[in-house]
Amino acid sequence: MATSSPWLTWAFSPTISAILVTLVISLLLPVLVHSYLYRKATAQALPAFLLIGPSGAGKTSLLTLFANGTPSPTHTSQETQTATCQLPSSALASTDRYRSVNDHTHDQPQLLLIDTPGHGKLRHHALASLTPATALKGLIFVVDSAAVSSAAGLTETAEYLHDVLLVLQKKHTQSRTSKGSQGIAVLVAVNKQDLFTSLPVGLVRQRLEEEVARVRLTRSKGLLVDSGVGLTDDGEADDESNWLGQYGSKEFKFGHMEEYGVEIEVVGGNVKGEGEEKGRVDGWWGWIGENL
Amino acid sequence: MLDAFEILTTSGIVLWRRSYAPVPSSVVNSLVGDVFIEDRRPKDAQGQQQTSYKKDKYTLKWTSAKDLGVVFVAVYQSLLHLSWVDNLLTAVKALFTKDYGIELKKAHVTKLNTQPFDATFDALVRKLDTGSTRRQSEADSEGPIELTPPSSAASASEEAVDEPPPPPIPAPQFKKPAVSRKEQFEGTSTDATPVPTPDTSRPSTPASHILTAKSGPGKASRRSRKAQHTLTSAPASSGDESSAGRNKKTATKAKRRWDADGFAVEGEDEVLDYSAAADSQQEQGEREVDVEDVNASQMGSRTGKGQFVLKDLDDEVDAILASSKQQVKPDSTEGDAGLLGSATSRLTGLFRNVVGGKTLTKQDLIQPLQQMQNHLLEKNVAREAAARLCASVEADLLNQRTANFTSIDSTIRESMSKALTRILTPTSSLDLLRDVTTTISPPNPRPYVISIVGVNGVGKSTNLSKIAYFLLQNQFRVLVVAGDTFRSGAVEQLRVHVRNLSELSRREDVGKIELFEKGYGKDAATVARDAVTYATNTAGTEGNGMLFDVVLIDTAGRRHNDTRLMSSLTKFGQLANPDKIFMVGEALVGTDSVAQARNFAKEFVDTKGKLRNNGVGMDGFIISKCDTVGDMVGTLVSMVHATGIPVVFLGVGQHYGDLRGLNVGWAVDKLMK
Ligand SMILES: Nc1nc2c(ncn2[C@@H]2O[C@H](COP(=O)(O)OP(=O)(O)OP(=O)(O)O)[C@@H](O)[C@H]2O)c(=O)[nH]1
Ligand SMILES: [Mg+2]
Repeated sequence: MATSSPWLTWAFSPTISAILVTLVISLLLPVLVHSYLYRKATAQALPAFLLIGPSGAGKTSLLTLFANGTPSPTHTSQETQTATCQLPSSALASTDRYRSVNDHTHDQPQLLLIDTPGHGKLRHHALASLTPATALKGLIFVVDSAAVSSAAGLTETAEYLHDVLLVLQKKHTQSRTSKGSQGIAVLVAVNKQDLFTSLPVGLVRQRLEEEVARVRLTRSKGLLVDSGVGLTDDGEADDESNWLGQYGSKEFKFGHMEEYGVEIEVVGGNVKGEGEEKGRVDGWWGWIGENL
Repeated sequence: MLDAFEILTTSGIVLWRRSYAPVPSSVVNSLVGDVFIEDRRPKDAQGQQQTSYKKDKYTLKWTSAKDLGVVFVAVYQSLLHLSWVDNLLTAVKALFTKDYGIELKKAHVTKLNTQPFDATFDALVRKLDTGSTRRQSEADSEGPIELTPPSSAASASEEAVDEPPPPPIPAPQFKKPAVSRKEQFEGTSTDATPVPTPDTSRPSTPASHILTAKSGPGKASRRSRKAQHTLTSAPASSGDESSAGRNKKTATKAKRRWDADGFAVEGEDEVLDYSAAADSQQEQGEREVDVEDVNASQMGSRTGKGQFVLKDLDDEVDAILASSKQQVKPDSTEGDAGLLGSATSRLTGLFRNVVGGKTLTKQDLIQPLQQMQNHLLEKNVAREAAARLCASVEADLLNQRTANFTSIDSTIRESMSKALTRILTPTSSLDLLRDVTTTISPPNPRPYVISIVGVNGVGKSTNLSKIAYFLLQNQFRVLVVAGDTFRSGAVEQLRVHVRNLSELSRREDVGKIELFEKGYGKDAATVARDAVTYATNTAGTEGNGMLFDVVLIDTAGRRHNDTRLMSSLTKFGQLANPDKIFMVGEALVGTDSVAQARNFAKEFVDTKGKLRNNGVGMDGFIISKCDTVGDMVGTLVSMVHATGIPVVFLGVGQHYGDLRGLNVGWAVDKLMK
């Protein structure tokens, strides 16, 4: 009591120094609190990339390869899996582009990879993580380039790709009306290029574009699914928002999606090599680096 | 023998695996797909869920650690009947979760250093592998059971694992003390156990010669004979033989354990003494060989200490297996820690319930799950399906922690929504238009055949007309076949529909439609076949050279418990061979749609006796009269649950255009409301 009372007296006295100290404290405190909270928030949020694609395309293998350096053996996934990985030094992050090659003072940036199950019944996991405002830096759609050589495999892949792109498109159109929207980058990772039966990247791209156009057409003609029972279907407007890309256009090109803030790039590679050989994934790392 | 053992996460990453023979990856994949994702588990005769899964020539058994998201899968050839695999799974699960549980709980774990687990697993297999199949061994082991004094026989049946009947003879010999020691602790049989031990397992005693002689033919007994041969006649020289070598390793390890046991328990000395006395010089020599063997081979790095680890392991495994057996019997042994204690724990429980972060126990879940089940029943979900869904939610949530600021109720709701979504979402979506287009276009065009089945009065013809209308809108040429040659008026009814539709299509200038009928009394299957032939007819047509693109076959409504009429469906399915068979069911409350669906589905077998469409029979349900039930759309769930057949269309009104695809999100919303 004896020691604290002079302090208190001073603090409540109308001297200049007391006023100044109070002023400094009251001005600095919010700044400090903000910077503390802000730093905490940014430290946690790594740039995130979502792995998506039909079952067996190699998403989980890719995730383990990126996270651990070697692909683990895998089976069909039932749940999402996250992993943090570090950009290898061979791939330059876009922010580091002007940095000297010999500058090693800086750590390679970290990123978060999210793997999703590709089984038909579980795709809602993946699509659900697309719809809310998750801070996704990009989306990696993994394609099995051997499976797309068969009609069934091609259709399945294209249907999924169509649905994913449509979700992105809707997200874009919705956010455009409310606030300024950011685009999203999509990498179509043409996997399993090591296989003898695989199609080359150019051909995969072409076939996917054609097939997505076909899917889009039959989807538009198919039965309504949205309204369910007893709801009035509001005709044209609905049609248009459910149409991927330019409404009514005959052809579909990945380039068309740029209008909706979706930039698609198609890059080949393989997670696994033949026998002891290592996979070829530099192209994908490069894309990630550019979009960090 | 096992072919493979894998430990994988639910996210699909193999954490650890051991394969004894190459097993294609697709085998485990289809286990995951069929059992874990689609929940299509084969049922045995009593309608009980089987705990094994057969694929190609393999049988798979599994167990899972839900809280860690890890699944343990054992794969072996179906020809064998490896009953010890269950114990192996239990033991591996317990040991693996103990060793790696903490690491697995961390976020972003995609890889574990599971190298050390190799040795543990080997030891487990050595301990548990009775080498033979249960059935055979039971037959074989009649001998030893007769020979052993009563108390030991009791222990043999009690601890079936620890007392593997005949095969690798040395193993039981040295394992015995561990058992008896445990029994002493439990106080079941104290003084009698050590004495009979040598009788049962002593390879050099006459008794075991009888044992071997009595064993039937088969790999196991052959091996045991071989092992015995090694021990008695030429022990030192045959160390290079692989199977004998294996046995010996066990032996050496076990000897160490004896020492430890001797320290731990009194009265065990007796056993020790006995074995020491009985040890012939030959065995003495063999022991030396063994030590070298062990040091040289796998045991390498694991010297003295490692062996103690393995000893601990043995005891631990016994404990694990015993406790897992006990768990089956009594379920809840709730210890009440006084009035005050229970009150505070209940308070914190309530608090946690609101705030989240509570670990869910069975008690916590029972009541809300019961509510959830009632809720589903109110929505007209069949009791069986509701119970099953709740069980799967319970399994999903048990021992899980609720997320922050999430109550138990909302956790359950979320889990239930997920389960419902999973059940209603078809594995591959049906795109009828695409299918038709592909079928009717070159290289080998043929008409696309759809047939509609169902019980009387559910709206088969109406829904058939709706599909016809939909196809007409898409410029297809449709042939409607009056396959109901039974009920009077059926053909006329269809004729009216077709007349309306052709009028509509003429006005809108879309496809074309025609009725194919052969009157009453004819065999429906033959009529259907004729119709397909007629549609394929190429005479005087342009385009792809067919008269019609799609053949829609109406069938006679039949009561699903009318076996005579039902069995004619099989012939129909084989003769008309439709691309798609849809069954019409009602959404109405109180119809036995589930039984209907089951009975219809099982009629559609192909000529090889296998059910159509990947073993589910039909290709989809059309649920009619959905507009009349409001929120009570539970029928959808019940039917899909019972058969694994997806719902493809919903009938929502009286007009031709009132046909909808199923929006899973919409249905789940209605059910959870
Ligand atoms: N030859 C070859 N095989 C690959 C390659 N990438 C993946 N695989 C194999 O493809 C199979 C499926 O890979 P997963 O990573 O499990 O596929 P997924 O996309 O995660 O599948 P879901 O989890 O079911 O959605 C595995 O057996 C991999 O070994 C590759 O580049 N080349
Ligand atoms: Mg996966």
